[in-house]
Amino acid sequence: MKQVLTAVRWLARTVIVLLLVMAGSTLLVRFAPGYLSDAREMDARHSQPVRAELRKESARSESFASMLVSEIRGWVHGDGGISRQYGVPVSELIAPRAKMTGRLVLRSILLGWLLAVCAALLTSRAKSLVLVWQVPSTFLLAAPTAAMATVCLLWGSGGPVLVMTLLLAARDFKFLDRALRTAWHRPDILHARAQGIRCRRILCAYILPAIAPQISALASLSIATALSAIVPVEVIFDVPGLGQLAWNAALNRDLPVLLAVTLIMAMTVTIARTAPNHSMESRTV
Amino acid sequence: MICRRATIVLLAALIAGACCVLLLSRTSYSEQDRLSPLAGASANHPAGTDQLGRDRLVRTAAALLISLIGAVVGSLLTTMAAAGIGMLAAFGPALVGSSTMLLCDVFLALPWLFLLMMVRSALPLSTSPAASVTITFLVLAALGWPACARTIYRGALQLKNADWMLQARAQGLRTTQMVRRMVPNLVPLLVPQFLVSIPAFVMAEANLGAIGLGIGEPLPSWGGMLMEMGNSALLLQTRWIYLPVALLVTVLLLLEAVAMEA
Repeated sequence: MKQVLTAVRWLARTVIVLLLVMAGSTLLVRFAPGYLSDAREMDARHSQPVRAELRKESARSESFASMLVSEIRGWVHGDGGISRQYGVPVSELIAPRAKMTGRLVLRSILLGWLLAVCAALLTSRAKSLVLVWQVPSTFLLAAPTAAMATVCLLWGSGGPVLVMTLLLAARDFKFLDRALRTAWHRPDILHARAQGIRCRRILCAYILPAIAPQISALASLSIATALSAIVPVEVIFDVPGLGQLAWNAALNRDLPVLLAVTLIMAMTVTIARTAPNHSMESRTV
Repeated sequence: MICRRATIVLLAALIAGACCVLLLSRTSYSEQDRLSPLAGASANHPAGTDQLGRDRLVRTAAALLISLIGAVVGSLLTTMAAAGIGMLAAFGPALVGSSTMLLCDVFLALPWLFLLMMVRSALPLSTSPAASVTITFLVLAALGWPACARTIYRGALQLKNADWMLQARAQGLRTTQMVRRMVPNLVPLLVPQFLVSIPAFVMAEANLGAIGLGIGEPLPSWGGMLMEMGNSALLLQTRWIYLPVALLVTVLLLLEAVAMEA
């Protein structure tokens, strides 16, 4: 019963956060200084009063409440509204691209984690290897994703998966290395090692269960990091995914599409962030 | 300690170098030498020119200063906002505390870059370059506070329940007086948050600029220069095109080293 209650509470909080995200994004867009500017305003044939009238007309038709209602209605209907740029339901634009982005993110996260875990396991046991991994990881963390992607593209080596994998591996390695190093120096682990228990057994039976909460938090952070990196990566490598769609929508002021993509991202991040906490809470219940 | 000093000295040298370049150069960052677009290094243009014939060294120096000033101001605003909100959540009624943390959740759920893109795309079509710099860093500051506010909230809560604070409350200190005494104790939390935000903002501006949604031309920015690299045909003509990236990574490494030391 308690587990059901915890699950309901988690679901309610997630729904509230998502509704607030939707309202907040709409509010932000609606009151951004140039939201009401229309491409027709740039037309030199229109006089100043005509432009002012155009602005007033958009202000009348797009009040915050009506925008929010149409946004929610679009999501309830499952089409996410109509794209200003293409004139088709947003869901039609998003569905094929979501698959592409999902595949890219999933592959990068898996590869990044594999690389980070292997490197962290090696460096936490062998001190001499620390610099070999830490120097490139620090360097990768300091390079903006766009710069990394551009350099990879220009050198003709590696693609979007490699850039995102390196980014995630560098970030995860930093935290995993610290967590494992601290765990190896715990008094109980030192005692177990002194008693001759094999390293693999110590790792599987004591260290990994102890750092499981940190690992799950880190995993959810990886999703957020990967989603933030997909825009420059997809734009630079010309991958037809959600990031590229959002960028295109931003350049063409297609705010329904941009809002829909932002909401999908927010939904993914919210679920990824709160799911580990929820699973931990249910386990303790 | 020596490492920290060396990092700060290097960073200061880079900033001083950028100032010197801007002060001593005979050309401005937007001045075009139409006879020599994409020129290599020469006496007039030590790092060559870009495709519009503008001096690359001057533009890189200006981009460094603009991004650093913007990031420092943005980071300062973010830290101040986070401190205020965190303290309000810790000292206000329970409802205020929980609502503030819910607001933090909402902000943390929104990926930065998407929100930035959303705001940038909704700006007027006639936004001036100077306004675009201000808006970019203000938006970064407006989005960067939640994680920092959570840290401050936790720190303030701990301090609120500390023995000396209980004694102060028992002696009749008002909330405003307690807050005034608490701020110096939160400085060890605020300084790292401030320092961590600076490279994050520089990086966010570079990423945003690289996809064409950053600081408007003709003002130079890291992102704009990264975008220039997208044209691979230019690379065959001059290798100086890599200068901004190299400098950007160096600046970010130094800023992160300073933040880590703190």
